[in-house]
Amino acid sequence: MLSAEKNRRLTQVGPGTPMGELLRRYWWPVATHDMATRVPVKRRLLGEDLVLYRDGNGTVGLLAEQCPHRRAALWLGCTEQEGLRCGYHGWRFDESGQCLEQPGEPAESTFKDRIRATAYPVQELGGLVFAYLGPAPAPELPRYDLFVWEDAWRDIGHAELPCNFVQIMENSVDPYHVEWLHGRYGSFLRELDGRGGPLPVVTKKHVKVAFEVFEHGILKRRVLEGHTEEDEDWKVGHPLVFPHMLRVGAAGLATFQIRVPIDDENTWHVWYQTYRPEGGAPPQESVPVYEVPLRDEKGEYLRDYVDGQDIVAWITQGRVSDRTQEHLGKSDLGVILLRKLYAEQMDRVASGLDPLCTYREPHDVIDLPMEKDKFGSAVEFRQLWTRESSIRYSPIKDEIFELFGDPVPAWVS
Amino acid sequence: MNFCPGCGASLETEASFVQEFWSGADRNFLCWCAACDLLSTVVLPAMIVSHEPEH
Repeated sequence: MLSAEKNRRLTQVGPGTPMGELLRRYWWPVATHDMATRVPVKRRLLGEDLVLYRDGNGTVGLLAEQCPHRRAALWLGCTEQEGLRCGYHGWRFDESGQCLEQPGEPAESTFKDRIRATAYPVQELGGLVFAYLGPAPAPELPRYDLFVWEDAWRDIGHAELPCNFVQIMENSVDPYHVEWLHGRYGSFLRELDGRGGPLPVVTKKHVKVAFEVFEHGILKRRVLEGHTEEDEDWKVGHPLVFPHMLRVGAAGLATFQIRVPIDDENTWHVWYQTYRPEGGAPPQESVPVYEVPLRDEKGEYLRDYVDGQDIVAWITQGRVSDRTQEHLGKSDLGVILLRKLYAEQMDRVASGLDPLCTYREPHDVIDLPMEKDKFGSAVEFRQLWTRESSIRYSPIKDEIFELFGDPVPAWVS
Repeated sequence: MNFCPGCGASLETEASFVQEFWSGADRNFLCWCAACDLLSTVVLPAMIVSHEPEH
């Protein structure tokens, strides 16, 4: 168990909380590229209500939701050639928050020069809009490899999940759940549905797991039954990228699962996929974006695929998992290490230091380690992942199958 | 766990971290001390098993 006080410290993300202050030292995806348009939209990040827009000059802005004039919501507004105009009385603001115009005030008034909306810096990269809500100077936006590869296809799935982000992150340092949640439970559902025998790959038993804190977060390694320490699952492993991402995949197929805290009880989950077969992929005009559904037509949680099973496990832990009631064992050491890492990094921020994964120098790309032959075989893992992950909802799913050219596996029913 | 086994500082501060977990019948506490940065595991064993000398 964890004390109630430590659980609050671990899970509260609002301004002024220790975790909220830590998380405000990072750039966060606040939207996909298609959300930043001339139509202002409401977004919520780290417990703060925001408005995102793209003005006529193409500049993307992110302002606090309430207009500093009479507090109407700025999503009730119009984008102009420059800036966003409040729909209530026409005050206009640029992306720095500076008030540019107050139509109802006397022409000679200098009042506007003293008015600013709360504004946050944004940058676009790889089909996502990133925002920084922390103290100046902002660090560099990390150019992680998947965001910047030029010879890869991408697609972006996303969903709002009604639970705290930490319980989702903990799943990423909990290797044993794979063989049970996806192996046994997933196969159980296949039996009930008459969809054939157990899934390959995810049913393999874990022999050994290891976790290592390194420059990008926590590197996770495993040895599966029938494999050895010479296999890439152990020799290379794959990372939890601190504080908010999992990197997972196999040769040519690499995904970031990005967990964006909306507030204490909700998380925007982004599945950021890249497809990069040997020799590279042909140019892609734009990055497709799609919503990942949580429920079927009967209103039941979808759990007949790997990501759906994860989602339901996370959500059913509660809006904020009550860690005073849990019972951890040795198989939870990865989870414990992650909690300790959050505690340590909160303390660094409280001491005035930059936390782990803060980049102050411009850079071209940050390469992350990830095994190519995952669970023994890149092809088998790709066959599984392209069918049993959120990729099943991608609008370019069939083109992805063609891009890799992997044979249809026998277990597909 | 109230105090760091390394430096003796309180582990009941806001910053320090103590997490209980079980290994068989042994009760374990992973402790991280914000004062000295020591990461340790304190074990409350169900029993102490020693070796038996040859005789």
